[in-house]
Amino acid sequence: MTVIFYLSAIIAVAATFLAITRTNAVHALLYLAVSLLAVAMVLFTLGAPFAAALEIVIYAGAIVVLFVFVVMMLNQGTATIRRERAYLTPSMWIVPGLLTLVLFAELVCVVAWVPEAAGAPAEAIGPKAVGMALFGPYAIAVEMASLLLLAGLIGAFHLGRRDEE
Amino acid sequence: MTPEAWYILLYSAGVLSVAVGMVVVSFVLGQRHRERATDEPYESGIATTGSARLRFSARFYLVAMLFVIFDLEAVFIFSWAVALRELGWAGYAAALVFIGVLVAALVYEWRMGALDWGVAKRKNRSDAPSEETRK
Amino acid sequence: MREIVFHLLVVVCVLGGTLSMAGALIWLERRLLALWQDRYGPNRVGPFGLFQPVADAIKIFTKEDWIPPFADRAVFVAAPAVIVVTVLMSFAVVPFAPGVWVADLNVGLLFLFGMSSLGAYSLILAGWASNNKYSLIGGLRAAAQTISYEVFMGLSLMGVVMLAGSFSLRAIVEAQQGVWFCVTQFPALVVFLIAGLAETHRLPFDMPEAESELVAGFHSEYSGMKFGMFFVGEYLAITLLSALATVLFFGGWLGPVLPPLVWFVLKTGALICGIILLRASLPRLRFDQLMSLGWKILLPVALLNIVVTGAIALLGK
Repeated sequence: MTVIFYLSAIIAVAATFLAITRTNAVHALLYLAVSLLAVAMVLFTLGAPFAAALEIVIYAGAIVVLFVFVVMMLNQGTATIRRERAYLTPSMWIVPGLLTLVLFAELVCVVAWVPEAAGAPAEAIGPKAVGMALFGPYAIAVEMASLLLLAGLIGAFHLGRRDEE
Repeated sequence: MTPEAWYILLYSAGVLSVAVGMVVVSFVLGQRHRERATDEPYESGIATTGSARLRFSARFYLVAMLFVIFDLEAVFIFSWAVALRELGWAGYAAALVFIGVLVAALVYEWRMGALDWGVAKRKNRSDAPSEETRK
Repeated sequence: MREIVFHLLVVVCVLGGTLSMAGALIWLERRLLALWQDRYGPNRVGPFGLFQPVADAIKIFTKEDWIPPFADRAVFVAAPAVIVVTVLMSFAVVPFAPGVWVADLNVGLLFLFGMSSLGAYSLILAGWASNNKYSLIGGLRAAAQTISYEVFMGLSLMGVVMLAGSFSLRAIVEAQQGVWFCVTQFPALVVFLIAGLAETHRLPFDMPEAESELVAGFHSEYSGMKFGMFFVGEYLAITLLSALATVLFFGGWLGPVLPPLVWFVLKTGALICGIILLRASLPRLRFDQLMSLGWKILLPVALLNIVVTGAIALLGK
């Protein structure tokens, strides 16, 4: 299990790096999908099969598909690739990169010094346990999420409609 | 690692080699030929006009957006469905409220015509109370 | 040791069985369509034309394997492989008979949803990478269709999950010892079959390829075995859909007298023939009809089914 965990983690990091550096938007999105699948494997090896399955269904299967769909519809062609290349000059990424590095260092410190933060749970958490937590103690959060999604739907509809006319 | 995980890994390896094998065998065995129009995209036999990098109506985007949001809602329903008996009536009430909001969203989209494509859409517009909103 | 050998055998048989099933289906579909349309169908290669799939395979493997110079090469080659891989992977969680499965995951059904949503990439990417107008339109249609119907398919199965109390397909079959879910979950069965057909983009839902308007839609520019992989993928998807309907609604391997595996094959075979009959008898829908059908009929039915099934399951507890 540990071997698979590290293997998928390496794939996730590498694919994410490629997703950032590709200039062709569809290629970048494909690497993003690979990265999300690798993250699903990581979650699976950590004992969260439900979260792993949802990672595939929602992120790789829905959100990235939406992105590919939009990129396909807008079909920007070679102009975008040139612009993307311009974005990748060091002056564009060096400051965000440094800030992320600081965050990463903090994360490493947290994992190293707080023992509870690291390591997998003793046993796998099945889908039933997740459902009981969501609609038991966290029911209010679920209802709030539904309102948020309602707002998202209405917003998407009105933005989409204005474009059309 | 459970033996089951090994079987699924083995199976995945088999599946991948089948897919790769199909592509490779076909590449090796396939014929090659070059004619004057071999390298042109197929456009019903006439010379191609313009690039295939077309732009499309935003309505397709709306479908995709609806899908992603409903997919998220469905996932919450999944997690409730599997624990239905353990959660009992309290969970049922919570899920009912959740589904209620979902239905409200669906009814709103339906009334606003977001679910109409093609002909129905145009008809909606002509007898529109929303006449003043469009320019 | 015996168990390991048995499971290895299962892995090999599932892979070989599903692939040869796809081949056999190509023959079966042409023969059945011919029967219903009062003509002969393939009857020259071997007895009853049984070796037709072999001849087709030889022919398609030796056809030109063309990668258009205007296409996006890597994505163009990868797209057909994606559909074969995702559909074949789905078979990993299907229980064929007690103990005969590659893996029994406690998130089995979600794994299937995941694989079917990843399968959408194949069509979208094929349409985009071909750099052809027909392909692009086909790809967009495929995307809108498959991603919409995924939601309805997922929601329609939640009634089954409630009654079985698990996502594991083995547990779902075992929960049907008394009554098959096709009785108690009839609306769900109808929604599932319609959504499943739309997912596999078969007639009457084949708008992504619609040969009378889009030539061949997303695979217009494909030739040789790369086209063949879309073809095989479609037949594998039909087999998968029938196998899933059997497992989820028709009691899987359950049945009297005959051995479990035989029951499973019989039920799946009957469903496959039903799907082929649908193709022979229904015309293609219009795209707006497809979308209206999904969002205005299937989605409300699926939601209502969830609410009612939940109440009944809790009352009967």
